[in-house]
Amino acid sequence: MAAAAATAATKGNGAGGGRVGAGEAAGTRKKKGPGPLATAYLVIYNVVMTAGWLVIAVGLVRAYLAKGSYHSLYYSIEKPLKFFQTGALLEILHCAIGIVPSSVVLTSFQVMSRVFLIWAVTHSVKEVQSEDSVLLFVIAWTITEIIRYSFYTFSLLNHLPYLIKWARYTLFIVLYPMGVSGELLTIYAALPFVRQAGLYSISLPNKYNFSFDYHAFLILVMISYIPIFPQLYFHMIHQRRKILSHTEEHKKFE
Amino acid sequence: YKHRIQVEILDAKTREKLCFLDKVEPQATIAEIKNLFTKTRESKECHNEHDHSFGQGPLDGTRSCARSCQAEGCDTILPTDPQWYPARQSLRLDPKGKSLKDEDVLQKLPVGTTATLYFRDLGAQISWVTVFLTEYAGPLFIYLLFYFRVPFIYGHKYDFTSSRHTVVHLACTCHSLHYVKRLLETLFVHRFSHGTMPLRNIFKNCTYYWGFAAWMAYYINHPLYTPPTYGAQQVKLALAIFVICQLGNFSIHMALRDLRPAGSKTRKIPYPTKNPFTWLFLLVSCPNYTYEVGSWIGFAIMTQCLPVALFSLVGFTQMTIWAKGKHRSYLKEFRDYPPLRMPIIPFLL
Ligand SMILES: NC(=O)c1ccc[n+]([C@@H]2O[C@H](COP(=O)([O-])OP(=O)(O)OC[C@H]3O[C@@H](n4cnc5c(N)ncnc54)[C@H](OP(=O)(O)O)[C@@H]3O)[C@@H](O)[C@H]2O)c1
Repeated sequence: MAAAAATAATKGNGAGGGRVGAGEAAGTRKKKGPGPLATAYLVIYNVVMTAGWLVIAVGLVRAYLAKGSYHSLYYSIEKPLKFFQTGALLEILHCAIGIVPSSVVLTSFQVMSRVFLIWAVTHSVKEVQSEDSVLLFVIAWTITEIIRYSFYTFSLLNHLPYLIKWARYTLFIVLYPMGVSGELLTIYAALPFVRQAGLYSISLPNKYNFSFDYHAFLILVMISYIPIFPQLYFHMIHQRRKILSHTEEHKKFE
Repeated sequence: YKHRIQVEILDAKTREKLCFLDKVEPQATIAEIKNLFTKTRESKECHNEHDHSFGQGPLDGTRSCARSCQAEGCDTILPTDPQWYPARQSLRLDPKGKSLKDEDVLQKLPVGTTATLYFRDLGAQISWVTVFLTEYAGPLFIYLLFYFRVPFIYGHKYDFTSSRHTVVHLACTCHSLHYVKRLLETLFVHRFSHGTMPLRNIFKNCTYYWGFAAWMAYYINHPLYTPPTYGAQQVKLALAIFVICQLGNFSIHMALRDLRPAGSKTRKIPYPTKNPFTWLFLLVSCPNYTYEVGSWIGFAIMTQCLPVALFSLVGFTQMTIWAKGKHRSYLKEFRDYPPLRMPIIPFLL
């Protein structure tokens, strides 16, 4: 869907149309925080999401202690994982209505890719649920999300402990590649089962004269990680340098 | 008595002074100032540096034409720095404001004896006609590859075979005629006001047109193609819609051409003419887009192919955005613009 929008034809050279002006207007728009009602709502949302991912973390640890093995821990946290990861869809809405200043397109892409992995891969292909690769991304996501949502909560309340800020801009160095490896290995493990069952695939002939090959689609998804992952990773490294060095300087003056 | 105006051109981003034109005629147009700007930059480079090396521009691979150095006592052939030729320039009164039009006259602008203009680079440009020709020749050719089932598409045993469904042949005729019509219109009908567009647009637009053409053609010409559910009746209805909309689209393009004398850039309010197809101008600002969308809906009904429906939908979205922009500028430019008109769909949108 995003791809279709991005390749839509372009007309005009900016000299005649108002296209250039519009881009600039967006760039100079002043930053404005959300109103008090929106802030209250966002605090509740982020507290609930932090708690949700904490539940998942505790669930993982308890199941591990009870079983004494880390295999197939997915089943012990399946429900809260699906619930809270799907709840992240609200973040797209927050960006769309403007109470969170992030880009709608980027947020949608990030949230949708995870929701896709949870429902269209892990939920749909039962055979991969016991794979260790599932645990790899679940653990990476869980730690990331606990830190991220508490970061938002404390920021909204204007009391951001340095430790949380540091963790948010540091742990990704390990967690991000770990999550991506888990995701890729899980999709890879799903491939033979998808092909065998013809899952979500439409073949010709049919009266809509259209076909869809989910197996090929998943391979395309895996390939798309190649250009996207390094870009996001180095963007985060850059952010880290900007944000953490900035606060360290501040500290020296205090 | 005629006083002249001094023009200084600053970079809109860095505010660096790029050029100072002493004594410019007050009747000079922005187009003429752009030309002067290009010239002064060429001779300046030549005077100041006077080494005839092929410098490394920010956009390589674009330097193509040669010119002779205009500096006194220098008769070497230099590679022209194609950077900042007039079509690439955007000049504004305010660094963040709207671009001035080429036809704007210096005297009529709110400037005193010294005019400060801000320059922005629009990027490498390519002729509008070239863009349209590549955009439209692609789908025409690509569709035919699928129609003739050239090897490596549908498997060896189908190479160069022909579909047994009449509708497939009809669809190929309609698709080809549609793009031939567009090519001919680009060459002989349209009178475009801007000569160029940014180079990168051609990649975007070609991906869009060529990609969709291949995707649609793949299914329509597939050996496992399923003909329309309601048979000949459905095909006849669809053909009627398609033909009517093509005639309508062509009529609108002719009407738009007649609004603009050859070689000019004037814009007028289009009104219905004697040709009944143009009567849609009573209700919408861009009936050519309305007819274009109609043609594709006709083609989608005829082929009963989901990708064609998607192409119609994406095209409709894009044309609605353009139509809204054109509608808005009509309202702004003409006080007496007919109030009944909507951008693209009568009474609705
Ligand atoms: N399938 C698709 O996705 C798709 C998308 C877009 C277009 N198309 C097709 O391509 C055709 C041409 O597209 P377009 O966007 O160039 O159409 P357009 O903007 O309506 O322009 C058609 C021609 O008429 C001129 N013109 C427009 N309004 C005028 C006015 N008020 N006074 C004088 N001249 C005027 C234009 O000059 P300017 O140079 O000044 O604009 C241009 O030369 C469309 O009608 C449609 O058939 C198809």
